[in-house]
Amino acid sequence: MRKALTLAVSGLVAAVLGILSLGGLAAATTATEEEAVAEAQELIEEAKQADEPDPYAPEIYGSR
Amino acid sequence: MYAVAAVVTAVVLAPLAAPGYVLHYDMVFVPRQPLTWDLVAPAQGLPRAVPMDAVVSVLTQLVPGWMVQRMALGGAVLLAAVGAGRLVPTERTGIRLLAAVGYAWTPYLAERLLIGQWGLLVCYAALPWLVRAALELRAGRAGAVARVLLAAAPAAITPTGGLIAFGVVSLLAAQRGRWRGPAIAVAGVALLNAPWVAAALVTGAGGTSDPAGVAVFAARGENWAGPLVALAGTGGIWSAQATPASRALPLVPLVTLVLLALAGAGFGLLRRRMSPDVSARLLVLAGAGFLLAALGAVPGSADGLRWAVAQVPGAGLLRDGQKFLVPYALLLVVCVALGAERLVTRLERTNREVAGVVLGGVLLLPVAAMPDLAFGGAGRLRPVSYPADWQAVAGLLAADPGGEVLALPLSGYRAYSWNAGRTVLDPAPRYLPATVLIDDTLRVGDVAVTGENTRLREIRHLLGAGRPATETGVRWVLVQQHRADQVDPATLTGLELVHQGVVLALYRNPAVPPNPVVVSPVRWVVVAAMAVAIAVVVAALFRRYASRLLHGNLRSEVQTLEDWHA
Repeated sequence: MRKALTLAVSGLVAAVLGILSLGGLAAATTATEEEAVAEAQELIEEAKQADEPDPYAPEIYGSR
Repeated sequence: MYAVAAVVTAVVLAPLAAPGYVLHYDMVFVPRQPLTWDLVAPAQGLPRAVPMDAVVSVLTQLVPGWMVQRMALGGAVLLAAVGAGRLVPTERTGIRLLAAVGYAWTPYLAERLLIGQWGLLVCYAALPWLVRAALELRAGRAGAVARVLLAAAPAAITPTGGLIAFGVVSLLAAQRGRWRGPAIAVAGVALLNAPWVAAALVTGAGGTSDPAGVAVFAARGENWAGPLVALAGTGGIWSAQATPASRALPLVPLVTLVLLALAGAGFGLLRRRMSPDVSARLLVLAGAGFLLAALGAVPGSADGLRWAVAQVPGAGLLRDGQKFLVPYALLLVVCVALGAERLVTRLERTNREVAGVVLGGVLLLPVAAMPDLAFGGAGRLRPVSYPADWQAVAGLLAADPGGEVLALPLSGYRAYSWNAGRTVLDPAPRYLPATVLIDDTLRVGDVAVTGENTRLREIRHLLGAGRPATETGVRWVLVQQHRADQVDPATLTGLELVHQGVVLALYRNPAVPPNPVVVSPVRWVVVAAMAVAIAVVVAALFRRYASRLLHGNLRSEVQTLEDWHA
């Protein structure tokens, strides 16, 4: 009984990790140019609202 | 091992299967990088890419730049994985694979890849091989000195990598009672560092840097746990744009905690299998790397670092301290693998299936915690082609050599529409066959970190005062059209338009005649230092391969004679 429970719990954890990895990998490999542009746009908007410089302006090396 | 490493490499760098050049932050490759004096020995800047730029210039004379980029990035990820897997003192393949995947999937690798510092990744990949060679040297194996030097050579293509390699060899190779081999190895690695040391001594930039850089380049907290926990998980780079989005998840510190617990358990096994002395030295190396990484993020030490950067020549190397985490990352991964082995061995006594599942879970943990490293950081690295303007301008400058090129608007970084607006270091100094002046002021958020180039400082002052570019003494002015609106028309007064393209416009300054490149004799010191470093590598190669071949031939001759007599 104890063995079965241990196997079930560790199997569940491994399955979650597996799903996270595969799901994440799938999301990453299907990332499109549009999504990247949308994400950049979002960051630019956030910076604008916070009255901070545009992190994607060419003269900006990056932001913390 | 190689197969798994190849799969990981393919997953991380998948977009590089497409043709073109990945241009992202500090990562700039061009079709054929000219071997200019400024790339070999910068006259006015700090030698941050010495001898890396010279190596790329030579390589791109032989093969196209896009291939060099793929060789560098692919080789770095693949050899990092294989090196880490082979370093783990274990007989179990699963544990080696765990280390291989873990080392090729660290936040450190992801962040340095996303900021484009591929030279550091080469050092990262070389480190497990270097540690292994140094351990062989300690064990007194024949040919170990050559192996140490050959593993240290790629690491030393950047000053940071060279320093890390020097620290590793100095600490690991030193041994009581046996001094000849370690002394040659340490001296050899010191000579591999000679090019950038010589370049730093002869540059007109001075050795000190703007202390404002300490705060902006300090390790950064990636989530609720702060910078020290980010560093403990091998992340914590200063730039939010170079950090995978998954690092901000609230569960990430817990993953770090799990990894640290496993590493703690694994360190005992490391002590038993690699000897307490060696494991203590590895711990010191990792600890030193961690401390350097944390310097700028801890209030008291940050003040000291700020003083050092402003006063002590060369201390500017320490301001982006997170880059020194490499030995820590390696020890962490090796210990996590050994910790997993202990756990799995214990579980195997009761249930083999559970042990297998746990091993699979630990192997997947780094990927599950940071899946957005896949596919070039979830699509952040994508190859593009240079517009034809670049080749046209390079051709014009090659046909009329001599004189400096000033890139306008004044900025070191660009965001071209043809590169999907990704920020990249201006490719002009590497693409064009001339000395190209780009602004070396680094803007991080709303802080401007002043560069070291004194010539640029003069030019910035003149242009800022509304003077035309003709008065700066440059022979050419290159206007990058995507931000041409930021160039004051008064700046271009008196210049002759030579090329008007869609993305680039080239102007000639009639006030400055073509003058041959005058090379200061001190710059030859850097060339001599590079020749010495090359001689060290050639000698190590000869010792490693040619002598073995000779011995092998001799042995086979003896064997033939013995067979004949028998």
